[in-house]
Amino acid sequence: MKWITARRRHPLAGYAVVIIALALLGVGYAFVAPTADQARADTLAADAEATEVDIANGKQIFTQSCMSCHGEDGTGRTQEETGNASAWGPDLTGVGAAAVDFQVSTGRMPSMNPNAQMPRRTPVYSDQEIADLAAYVDAEFGGGPGIPEQAPGDAPERADYASEAEYEEALETYEAAYESYIAGGDTEAGMKLYMTNCAHCHSWSGAGGALTDGRWAPALTDATPRDIYEAMLTGPGAMPVFNDDVLTEGNKQSLIKFVEELDAEPNAGGPFALDRVGQVAEGFIGWTVGISLIVACAIWITAKQRAHD
Amino acid sequence: MSDNQAPPAPKALRGVGNFIDDRFHLAKTGEKNLRKVFPNHWSFMLGEIALYSFIILLLTGVFLTLWFNPSMAHTVYDGSYERLRGVGMSEAYASTLHITFDVRGGLLIRQIHHWAALIFVASLVIHMLRVFFTGAFRKPREINWLIGVAIFTLAIVEGLFGYSLPDDLPSGMGVRIFQGVLLSIPLIGTYLSFFMFGGEFPGEMIIPRLYMLHILLIPGILLALIAAHFMILWHQKHTQYPGKGRTEKKVVGTPMFPAFAIKAGGFFFFTFAVITGLAGFVQINPIHLFGPFTPTSITSGLQPDWYMGFLEGSLRMFPNWFDFDIGGYAIITGVLVPGLGFMGLLFGGLAAWPFVEAWITGDRRVHNVADRPRNAPVRTAFGVAGITFYGVCWLAGSNDILSHVFQINLYATTWFFRIFLILGPILAFIIAKRICLGLQRRDRETLEHGYESGTITQLPGGEFVEVHKKSSGETVHVLESAKGKDYTPEPTVDANGVESPASRKPMGRLRSRLAHWYTKDNVSFDGVEPHTGHHLHHGTHAEKEKVGQH
Repeated sequence: MKWITARRRHPLAGYAVVIIALALLGVGYAFVAPTADQARADTLAADAEATEVDIANGKQIFTQSCMSCHGEDGTGRTQEETGNASAWGPDLTGVGAAAVDFQVSTGRMPSMNPNAQMPRRTPVYSDQEIADLAAYVDAEFGGGPGIPEQAPGDAPERADYASEAEYEEALETYEAAYESYIAGGDTEAGMKLYMTNCAHCHSWSGAGGALTDGRWAPALTDATPRDIYEAMLTGPGAMPVFNDDVLTEGNKQSLIKFVEELDAEPNAGGPFALDRVGQVAEGFIGWTVGISLIVACAIWITAKQRAHD
Repeated sequence: MSDNQAPPAPKALRGVGNFIDDRFHLAKTGEKNLRKVFPNHWSFMLGEIALYSFIILLLTGVFLTLWFNPSMAHTVYDGSYERLRGVGMSEAYASTLHITFDVRGGLLIRQIHHWAALIFVASLVIHMLRVFFTGAFRKPREINWLIGVAIFTLAIVEGLFGYSLPDDLPSGMGVRIFQGVLLSIPLIGTYLSFFMFGGEFPGEMIIPRLYMLHILLIPGILLALIAAHFMILWHQKHTQYPGKGRTEKKVVGTPMFPAFAIKAGGFFFFTFAVITGLAGFVQINPIHLFGPFTPTSITSGLQPDWYMGFLEGSLRMFPNWFDFDIGGYAIITGVLVPGLGFMGLLFGGLAAWPFVEAWITGDRRVHNVADRPRNAPVRTAFGVAGITFYGVCWLAGSNDILSHVFQINLYATTWFFRIFLILGPILAFIIAKRICLGLQRRDRETLEHGYESGTITQLPGGEFVEVHKKSSGETVHVLESAKGKDYTPEPTVDANGVESPASRKPMGRLRSRLAHWYTKDNVSFDGVEPHTGHHLHHGTHAEKEKVGQH
């Protein structure tokens, strides 16, 4: 205490207090705020689900979680029908399994508030449950695009396997599938397709961006190849549909290769990549760090004028 | 001269020195200039940051030219950056990749060059703001101010062209916007664009042409202007802030050699260290991630470098409501006004200000002692309003990033900026002027009564007073600089009550009205003598001692 008392009238004391307060606030926020790791935690098992689906279970899930907004027959319900401004849903006729898989496996559905765009979240249902639900919706409300099984989905999670050995085997299988899928694309074609069709909204780095009317294009950094594929097939939200006639399967593979490789690419320019925000962040750092430090130095070297100067 | 003679120089040095001096007579001029005095204040070092970062730009720029190939000829990349191997691109982009990944130290030098460019323009801005707010642009320094404005303008153009050279994604988009602004110029726009690009956008000419402008013409002009800027500064001597012994005729400060030269030299290395530190740790313009530009490419989330941000913002904000056409020829005001109009407003306004101010105030005296910003409230308020206007444009240039990062509706940001672009400067003007006047009032108070010592004493009669103490001589000097600052122009009415012909004309009337408005709110320091206020008497020495005895 004495140490502080002796120094609290120091000319720099005020600045020190502000800096410490800001640092505490920042550290405190970092503890409270959810991290990306939590957000991306996936609890989905590997490829086994495709073989056996339980449509009855899918119906059960639909009844529990989807029907209140999308309606008993899946044709959707308006706000007037549900009598609730924050409970309504679009028609699911012909959306297909791919749309269900995309919406539910990225945690966007079931949505708490259909009036706001849903961010990516931890999915509510397991991979098996999602497969059941997708099969039910596909069978019951008219078929649409199926789940693109060729594009790898989520990586296996340790929690879903009984033993370490089983998990490692599944992981190996997954990584082999991922690599062979990525290797099958063509960077140049993928880059051109991405820059022409996707970068307007998702930005050059795949970090996403602002859209009109309060909507936004989500980041592609957490998206698996299958998520990207399904999004192109089904056009969720404001996104247009790029079906297999518009962008062939090979086109999509190249595009996904470009996105995944760009995201995995290390930042050659230094440890601080500024989240790849680009020029706005660079300008901000140039002013707040660069010029500020140099001006601080100017203040420092001119602060003392000795008698003989 | 001084009594203690320096020991004679070694014979060899003396010989060389005499040889040179016999031929060029440098000793006298050399001595005079080495002993030239520079006022000591941190804000006088800001222009030096610009000089040093310019030197760094020249050196790193030369390094980059050794490998950069300014050609739009098509090539297929086969360098050591694996992700892009086999991708078709221009020679310019391929050689930039080569500099980045295959030239030793190439990426570092590229990043130093880019960071130095950001720091260069930023230091020009803060230097210019310092000169503006302290009134250092007044007679006799108007010409140097104009040269400064030219350097600022050219630096921005130079930055834009340099940004365009690597032919990566942001380059191409920047050039496309540049071409769009060219096209919006009525009558000659399309001709200018075809002339500049040698045909349709993008063609094959633009990069070699921008390269020539970027490495030869503009740096050449910049160098000449910087030299002129310095020679004029040297000749006219630096301005100084008011203080003891500092007059319009006498500069107080540090001699050029050795003290100031050592400080300046050290400052160069510090500037260099900060720029290189940024370049070493913070990634800038990662062209290898952006990929090459193709005319069909367009992306969100990319901006120009910060100094073009205000133009980007004005383009984003300005509505297209005023577009019209004459006989089928469209006049694209939605691009023309924000693209060229705002730039003209900024640079034209900057260039005209010294003359406008002199015209309004009628003050044509020579000023070597700088103003304290509070003592010129209207000018300061104008400056702050200008900063606000620029700042709103600048922020609007990043509205998509702001919208995405802070999750604000994009339309809401646009409308906020549109409204604030008009409202902001007005508010800023009023607030800044009020603050200046408040500070003036406090200055007068301090000058009259001394400063508040924080000691409370009880008078024999029971009254409590705070003891005011006399300010130091230096402080009194600084505070007194507000006296007689406001220039009283020649009376427009002569002894017989007849108005002079000039002030009877509309312009004269406007001028005198503006002159009145310019100074009417200033706090008068007339007749204020230091330490004459009555509070001070309670704090006199004798009385304090008396209190102490109780």
